[in-house]
Amino acid sequence: MRKVFVVLIIMFVVPAMVYAAGPPETEWPDPDETITVVVPFGAGGGTDLIFRELVEEMNNHTEAEIIVDNIGGAGSATGTNEVLSLPADGYTVLASGAHTVTATLQGLTEGYRELEGIIGLNWDPFIVAVHRDSPWESFDELLADAADDPEALSFGNAGMGGATGVLTVGMNLHFDGVFNVTPFDGGADLIANFLGQHVDIGVFSQTEVAEHMNDMRPLMIVHPERSTIPELSDVPTYEDAGYSDLDVPFGSYRSLSVRAGTPADRKEALADIATQAFESERFQDYMRRQGLLPEYSRLGELDEYFQELEDLFYPILEAADLLDD
Amino acid sequence: MIDVLSGVALITDPGTIIWIMFGVCFGIILGAIPGLTATMGIALMLPVAIQLTTATGMAMLLAVYSGAIIGASIPAILLGIPGNPNAIATVYDGYPLTQQGRGAEALIAATVGSFVGGIGSLLLLGLFAPLIARFTLRFGPAERAALALVGLTIIASVSERRVAKGLLMGAFGLSLAFLGPDRITQTMRLPFPSITTGTPLANGIQLVPALIGLFGISQALYDIDRVRSGRLTPPQVSLRGSIPKPRIFLKMWRLMVESLGIGTFIGAIPGAGASIAVFLSYQRAQRTAPANAASDAPELGSGALEGVVAPEVANNACKGGSLIPALSLGIPGDAATAVLLGALLIKGVVPGPQLFVDELPLVYAILFALLLANIFMVVFQVVGIRFFPKVLSIPIYILLPLILVFSLLGSYAVEGRAIMAASFNMGVALILGVVGYFLKKHDYPIAPIVLGLILGDMLEQNFRRAMRLARGDYTVFLRSPIALAFILLAIASIAYSVRRARRAKAAAGEDDEE
Repeated sequence: MRKVFVVLIIMFVVPAMVYAAGPPETEWPDPDETITVVVPFGAGGGTDLIFRELVEEMNNHTEAEIIVDNIGGAGSATGTNEVLSLPADGYTVLASGAHTVTATLQGLTEGYRELEGIIGLNWDPFIVAVHRDSPWESFDELLADAADDPEALSFGNAGMGGATGVLTVGMNLHFDGVFNVTPFDGGADLIANFLGQHVDIGVFSQTEVAEHMNDMRPLMIVHPERSTIPELSDVPTYEDAGYSDLDVPFGSYRSLSVRAGTPADRKEALADIATQAFESERFQDYMRRQGLLPEYSRLGELDEYFQELEDLFYPILEAADLLDD
Repeated sequence: MIDVLSGVALITDPGTIIWIMFGVCFGIILGAIPGLTATMGIALMLPVAIQLTTATGMAMLLAVYSGAIIGASIPAILLGIPGNPNAIATVYDGYPLTQQGRGAEALIAATVGSFVGGIGSLLLLGLFAPLIARFTLRFGPAERAALALVGLTIIASVSERRVAKGLLMGAFGLSLAFLGPDRITQTMRLPFPSITTGTPLANGIQLVPALIGLFGISQALYDIDRVRSGRLTPPQVSLRGSIPKPRIFLKMWRLMVESLGIGTFIGAIPGAGASIAVFLSYQRAQRTAPANAASDAPELGSGALEGVVAPEVANNACKGGSLIPALSLGIPGDAATAVLLGALLIKGVVPGPQLFVDELPLVYAILFALLLANIFMVVFQVVGIRFFPKVLSIPIYILLPLILVFSLLGSYAVEGRAIMAASFNMGVALILGVVGYFLKKHDYPIAPIVLGLILGDMLEQNFRRAMRLARGDYTVFLRSPIALAFILLAIASIAYSVRRARRAKAAAGEDDEE
């Protein structure tokens, strides 16, 4: 019995001591290790493609291998919770952003309260569009018809929990609830229903609109600046359209975060690698082609930015009764 | 014509053909392991594909897709465990055939069916893609809710004569489907929310672990029981004299055409998926089999080749079908094609109507690659049929634990590196496995649970969406001709089942009197 006890002590205590002492701090990241960027959405989607582009460039700036892992589900909460369940050692990075804030406010994850920023990347401003076969040529006309018969016109989003959901709800609040806001099962489902004219108005990313220019008539881009995508450069901004008081989050914001408690030097190292990739000619050019608007911030700045986003989203989610209670 | 030739030229170099062969092989092995899906295979190979040229990469991914679908039928037939949701309906007649020592015959039937489905849907894709795609756009929330309703009537068909038990199980499946966030209000619908919110349960019950539990683990537990009581005799597997004559398949031409239509069309409706198509085509097999059966033909569900051919035609047709909206509209038909679309986008190719104008050679290359993948699929399958049944010669005391281990591995692998969700999925598979074991023991049908789980979400989401868009007006389901037709079909389907059950009862009554 005693022997067993001694063996047990050796088995557990010795490795614990070695572990506690830790390997001598050398260069981080270890070239033999793999850094995983968890994208909390399915492979092949808009957010996934942006992070894959960034990660490919990040690999040029470090010896360690960086890979993308898609963990979708529950908006973005499943992937976020996975990151929060792993050690805060810097080897797991979350593709965070506006989706993290909405998922946190809805109580689906501890989300950004347990995360710390690495760098902020960009905004992907949304476009409000109607079908080419519809009678509305401008947002003014659309709004006039909507006001005549409130809730007759349906305004589709890709899911209440995500950024398109917040935008539609926010716009509907701003316009006194004249639209019938209806959630669909993700972006692809919204497009299918929109092309089949089962929903009157939709909110889409710029690349989605550019792909479907034959069927979509963009009415306005919910951003102060016009799109950098040539086909979409005529689309009026919300200010051009005469709604400069429309104070809603204008799209999808993306950033990189790690679990709170990650050593400061590792966060610095990650921020350096990511910043180099962000500033590379290739990624900058990619963002221009996709119409993504750079919104860089670093470490603490990103944490402050998340606070601003929360302040922006909270009243909208509260008014729409989408908050965690 | 030049476009066709340059398309063919894109993928006829030896390198591409080797990639296609590799893809099919990889897909078959992956599909044969319970729980590993076509989507997972494609996602795994995505990083490789983006290193290759666009045509070669797409050809390889399509080969994986094709292989994973036929691969899933192997364990469904030999062990009674579908490799992934594509083969759910193949179990009903495939496994009884194996138990009768006709496993090789069933594997051949599955191969024939897959080939017909694959090539047939490829033709439909090549000839009518833009047309079919435009038509499926007419499927809005009301139409999809009505389609899900038709799907639910299949519960009567797969419950055999235990209709009350079947309905009960269907309701159980539906209630499992309702777990998770309400999609409109984002409110959590969970038992013990203070504990379960923030766990993977918040995302609802996933189909694949549920499938592994209900079919794989419960079957293994059930077999252990039978081994203990000495009632399980290992099935005979001999190949001699068991190659079915081509005539048998030619006689099924109508069923094949119908299954092809069902599969291609359901595949083309975004979000409907192969699991619905295979059940619908199985139901067709059930309805049409008595009409053309010579009196000695076995009844569906007890080892009829029709019951293997129909779902295998349908699931392969679904593959071609799901590419229709993907290529012509840029809308993925299912999760697997979503990853395929992602691969195209990474390569800078934008799917959609323009694809058929700007990138015609690539479209032909994709079609031709799919053709090659289907041919290799048959070749590997024919070679493999000699070896696959060997799995049954593994002693039962090794095979059953192996099945249990692979089932758990498969349910873990669904979420890949998401450790929490993956471990949770193993729990779901285990619990549903034990539940399924007790249900099987007391003669409750399992398939209605799966149907409820698959269709519950589709029915609820689309019903509520349709009602919201119509501002609470129920007549929306009657105003859409498609929805109305589906509702009438659902009523007819129930009436048919009731009549059949009554007849069976009357027949049984007569037997008693004799």
